[in-house]
Amino acid sequence: MTKRTRATESEPVPPQDAAEATEAATPPAPEPDRELLPLSGVRVIDVGNFLAGPYAASILGEFGAEVLKVEHPIAGDPMRRFGTPTKRHDASLAWLSEGRNKKSVTIDLRQPEGVNLFLKLVAHSQVLIENFRPGTMEEWGLGWKQLQAANPRLVMLRVSGYGQTGPYRRRSGFAHIAHAFGGLSYLAGFPGETPVLPGNVPLGDYMSSLYGAIGIMLALRHAERTGEGQVIDVAIYEAVFRQLDEIAGAYALYGKIREREGAGSFVAVPHGHFRTSDDKWIAIACTTDKMFERLAEAMERPELASSGLYGEQRKRLAARDQVNQIVIEWVGSLTRAEVLERCLANEVPVGKLNSIADIFEDEHFLARGNLARVPEEGLGEVTVPGVVPTLSETPGRITNLGPPLGNATYEVMRELLGISADEIKRLRQQKII
Amino acid sequence: MSEEAQAALPLAGIRVIDVATVIAAPYCATILGEFGAEVLKVEHPVGGDALRRFGTPTERGDTLTWLSEARNKKSVTLDLHRPEGVAIFKQLIAESDVLCENFRTGTLEKWGLGWEVLRQINPGLIMLRVTGYGQTGPYADRPGFARVAHAFGGLSYLAGMPKGTPVTPGSTTLGDYMTGLYGCIGVLMALRYREQTGRGQYVDAALYESIFRCTDELAPAYGMYGIVRERHGPSHNDFACPHGHFPTRDGKWVAISCATDKLFARLAQAMNRPELASSSIYGDQKTRLEHRHDVNEIVRDWCGSLTREEVLERCYATATPAAPLNNIADIFGDRQFYARRNLVALDVPETGETIIIPAVIPKLSATPGRIKHLGPKLGEHTDEVLRDLLGLDETQIAELRSKRVI
Repeated sequence: MTKRTRATESEPVPPQDAAEATEAATPPAPEPDRELLPLSGVRVIDVGNFLAGPYAASILGEFGAEVLKVEHPIAGDPMRRFGTPTKRHDASLAWLSEGRNKKSVTIDLRQPEGVNLFLKLVAHSQVLIENFRPGTMEEWGLGWKQLQAANPRLVMLRVSGYGQTGPYRRRSGFAHIAHAFGGLSYLAGFPGETPVLPGNVPLGDYMSSLYGAIGIMLALRHAERTGEGQVIDVAIYEAVFRQLDEIAGAYALYGKIREREGAGSFVAVPHGHFRTSDDKWIAIACTTDKMFERLAEAMERPELASSGLYGEQRKRLAARDQVNQIVIEWVGSLTRAEVLERCLANEVPVGKLNSIADIFEDEHFLARGNLARVPEEGLGEVTVPGVVPTLSETPGRITNLGPPLGNATYEVMRELLGISADEIKRLRQQKII
Repeated sequence: MSEEAQAALPLAGIRVIDVATVIAAPYCATILGEFGAEVLKVEHPVGGDALRRFGTPTERGDTLTWLSEARNKKSVTLDLHRPEGVAIFKQLIAESDVLCENFRTGTLEKWGLGWEVLRQINPGLIMLRVTGYGQTGPYADRPGFARVAHAFGGLSYLAGMPKGTPVTPGSTTLGDYMTGLYGCIGVLMALRYREQTGRGQYVDAALYESIFRCTDELAPAYGMYGIVRERHGPSHNDFACPHGHFPTRDGKWVAISCATDKLFARLAQAMNRPELASSSIYGDQKTRLEHRHDVNEIVRDWCGSLTREEVLERCYATATPAAPLNNIADIFGDRQFYARRNLVALDVPETGETIIIPAVIPKLSATPGRIKHLGPKLGEHTDEVLRDLLGLDETQIAELRSKRVI
């Protein structure tokens, strides 16, 4: 354990002085350079399809990286056609949102000339993101060996359903499949009934991308210090499985198989979803006895929190149905607004079960800038989720929505790779780019 | 792993103070620790982190989740309600790079440990602040937990049978882990920026935002067309059919997902009914979505006539995306989990119990993360840190202990 040698140590700030410091006493910080973001100067190639992996590139782009989306010259990323279409023929809404900040460069990797161009691009970049089925890039002559030869410092993120190794590596995998294989889907639904989708969104695609972005940041740090690049191997099912707290430990130690719990939770009561008199839903989460006491007060039935009744989690778990019934009846007798007001007055952990319509009306989403309205030519304003996380000094940004197919091909070929205009024309005619 | 190999990890030399509780911000510190950072878990001297009591207890008293998620951390006890505790905390801040916290907004400020104070002590400090609703906005002061964040962020509304009771989206802690991931990304971004400029900053993460960010086109579709996405139960979503869960003859479940027409053609082949994928029948996604009940019925009948193993074998033979709905017993018996070494066994030194926990992800080829030990005992490293890092002597430490500051 080593002490730091930094400026503050030669002039230590006595703790008592610092304790007296107030915001008013703080000298105004110099305006940070808004142009400089953590990943300024880093170039990322995103050759993936859909979301698992490409979302990692979106995050890097939000925090300053230049992201080149390499796509097939004719079809482009299938994400362009996934979900709800817009007036722009090559852009669904999902593409517009998650293709944010990227530049589109078309290269056909199934042609040898395309492979050569791609390797040149790799030599000019720091990060490569792909999510083909394992073995596909190797078939094209773009395995790690070839890529590393082109750029020894390269950081490569590989996302796949099952990872680059193991008996199932060649199987196709999507978020939905990974939710099932990773153990999440089994847990969504009512006990003994049909397991439902764990929320009608591709969580696993996002989760695997978050792990991918973390891996890239770590590997970039290593590459910049040592000159050594590396591969980050992310399986979508692993990202899902990693979220399941003690499920593995409890099975190994006690043989406990966690089952579906409907709207509730196995560790706490009341902890679930309740319908209000105006046919809306709220979530209540009384994780501790203290919170149940607050709920009992909100219900104007403080006696429920006495130790003789349901004051202890143990007793509430044993009388789960009775406790839930009391809450169901109370919530069902009031509108959502009334329930929220009474719960919040008593600091009960409570929240609306927001639909997207609720979210658009919610003052907190608006105050936090969670809905970014980005103008897009020909479409007016498109509302997309804002950048998370929020950084105080270097907030991320959205410079553009998902680009038209090939919008930066010429720029990249000409300026970055130094290819002549005539040659670019030929490559285009031969549909290599 | 040898000391030499450890020194090569990407975050070697980075010191993290984790003064947070339960999972959200602490999981960020867990990841940083897996990749080489030294993590000091600062806990209240009595009871410590509530995660020690969350879930299933072990013989040592601490729960399984604590043992798993506090991996690699060192436990230092400190009472931040006491001025002496605050003073020691400030000394720790001066010696550290990252601080992870998730108190209700204003709590650290009340103790005289707000951002403005901490940045004066250490201008390069990076501070991760996790709360239910974020540090700003009208709901900033409300208590927030993952369950509430799942609801508020729009996920819970989308889980369950159509018009039925919305169910837990699989796990009540998703939002905690996801926020730990976003927090970790923020911290790594901020570390990079600090190394270029010397300037620290704070990362403001809200549980509900992590959830809402993962909802693909939910927001743009409502914004442009007023489409309110609903829950659809088990077998399709707004864009793909079939896409869901189907029961097999042996009372188990499989997931099948045909996001594109090509994938449906493969399924039709697996079912020995290639004609279903012709353009005049169900070859187009649009047609399948319009006739989703009929399509789902066909798939349900087929799955119901075979065992889970038979369904999967036929799907894999035609490269149809399919998988078992694994419960944890299935997972422990699965070859892929073994081959990828997703489960690791470690012993609790005090009791000899063997605990199985999820291994480190993501997998890095040159600098793989590591698990040195399970979650520590409360205060296990207090003396070491106060003595070796802050230079306190035995008498001072004994005095702090007798006053219950540590």
